[in-house]
Amino acid sequence: MKTLKLWRTFKEGRENFRRNGWLTFATISILTLSLFIVSLSFLLGVTTKLVLQNMREKVNISVSFNPDVSEEKILEVRNELSRYKKEIVSVEYISREQALEQFLAESNNDPVIAQAIEEIGENPLLASLVIKAVRPEDYPLIVQQIEGSTFQNDVSRINYAKNKKIFDRLDRINQATRKAGILLGSLFVFIAILITFNTIRITIYSHRQEFEIMRLVGASNIYVRMPFVFEGALYGLVASVVTMLFLFIAARFIAPLTEGAIAQGNFLHLYYDYFWVLFGGLVLLGISLGVLSSAIAIRRYLKI
Amino acid sequence: MPATPIIHFDAVTKIFPVDISVLENVTLSIMPGEFVCIVGPSGAGKSTLLKLIYAEEIPTTGEVYFNGRSIGQINRKHLPFFRRNIGTVFQDFKLLPQRTAFENVAYALEVDGKSTEEINQEVPEILEIVGLGDKMHKFPRQLSGGEQQRVSLARALIHRPKVIIADEPTGNLDPVSANEIIQLLLEINSFGTTVLLATHNKGIVDKIGKRVIVINDQKIVHDQTKGKYALN
Repeated sequence: MKTLKLWRTFKEGRENFRRNGWLTFATISILTLSLFIVSLSFLLGVTTKLVLQNMREKVNISVSFNPDVSEEKILEVRNELSRYKKEIVSVEYISREQALEQFLAESNNDPVIAQAIEEIGENPLLASLVIKAVRPEDYPLIVQQIEGSTFQNDVSRINYAKNKKIFDRLDRINQATRKAGILLGSLFVFIAILITFNTIRITIYSHRQEFEIMRLVGASNIYVRMPFVFEGALYGLVASVVTMLFLFIAARFIAPLTEGAIAQGNFLHLYYDYFWVLFGGLVLLGISLGVLSSAIAIRRYLKI
Repeated sequence: MPATPIIHFDAVTKIFPVDISVLENVTLSIMPGEFVCIVGPSGAGKSTLLKLIYAEEIPTTGEVYFNGRSIGQINRKHLPFFRRNIGTVFQDFKLLPQRTAFENVAYALEVDGKSTEEINQEVPEILEIVGLGDKMHKFPRQLSGGEQQRVSLARALIHRPKVIIADEPTGNLDPVSANEIIQLLLEINSFGTTVLLATHNKGIVDKIGKRVIVINDQKIVHDQTKGKYALN
């Protein structure tokens, strides 16, 4: 009998959902909008974080050695640095020849530049070690260590000063976006809850006369309430599916802007990567919003 | 030893906040199988008297007994089950607008956990009795006032209640439909169901010729076994 009643209240909820036409549409639109804003700000937050991470990964310092320092000596230094596995991800040796090659490649093999180098007669570039730190915060420390080391006199220059500005800026951006993300995210979640609650309250208000009738024919409070709880769950479910669809469309528009800026390729790939997490989260959020709003909103109509 | 009254009011007073008294010290007994007309001007307290029986209101002081049991003692959780003993009919029909006649009546059985087979058998039967066998699948808005009231009556009867409470059931109906409803109530009563009919339609009361209780100024002013509508 319990399952029969549960099934009946579910069917009721489904019928309400179907028959309410306009109100169902309005409720789902509002719920979708809320979920969309919340999930989009989540995705954008993740993107910003990934973009910054990606930029950080591209950042490194290069230590150039004086032209008279032998390759063996530089490799020795490299081996020494490689031992600091906690701080340093990689140390790459770039010989003078490789440096020249890279330089020419970066200048698109411009004949003017090639000619200018030929005029000089010898390779003007220095051999260097490219160091990648585990944490960008550690660069100052690494630079300090090199500057105070035994081979400090062999070092021609460290291009850290130029990079330092970039590091600082990245750090500031990262912190700012994190704060803004948390603030905006929670604000939108709060607004979403308020709007959804209010909309469902209106839906239930439109049924208020029916509650009295239901009670008079001997329906228990739970029997009156369950259809609305199911209805709320259906709103949440449909709204999350629609939100995923909208997110897909939004992702397709945003994708070209993020091409190459994140490790995943672009925003659309990120959407695919997070698809199940997002969908699961939205269904959960949507259904609990719907169910909670319904359950609370109906309480005032269930006096006796 | 006299039989237990189906409904008994013991010195019942009902005061609405703030200090609006609607019933004062009402004592009253109704025996099983009686047909009682409750009459009086609007605002005299007729509806409140009836609401006290189906526990939509609770008395400020005094007790209301149903079949020898104090209604005030019933656990709130059990009220829905208690209400299935009482069928109610109202002036505004109180039908669920988005359900057909069949579904409106079926709802009362669904909440009781009756099986679909039982519902499919009992609902058409009862709709046949009130003369709506051919309009089962119409929505309330597609039915006339008299037909809607008959759906409401069918719903009130579906639990085979001991008591039918009809609060101004003819208030929105034309004389012909009103008469049909009254005839149905008399027929239901003839099978042993207690009927309480609140109305201020003098013609109907006088024609029925059963027990009449007159309420005026929050009190019972008349209680006659074969009564007529008279306020003083």
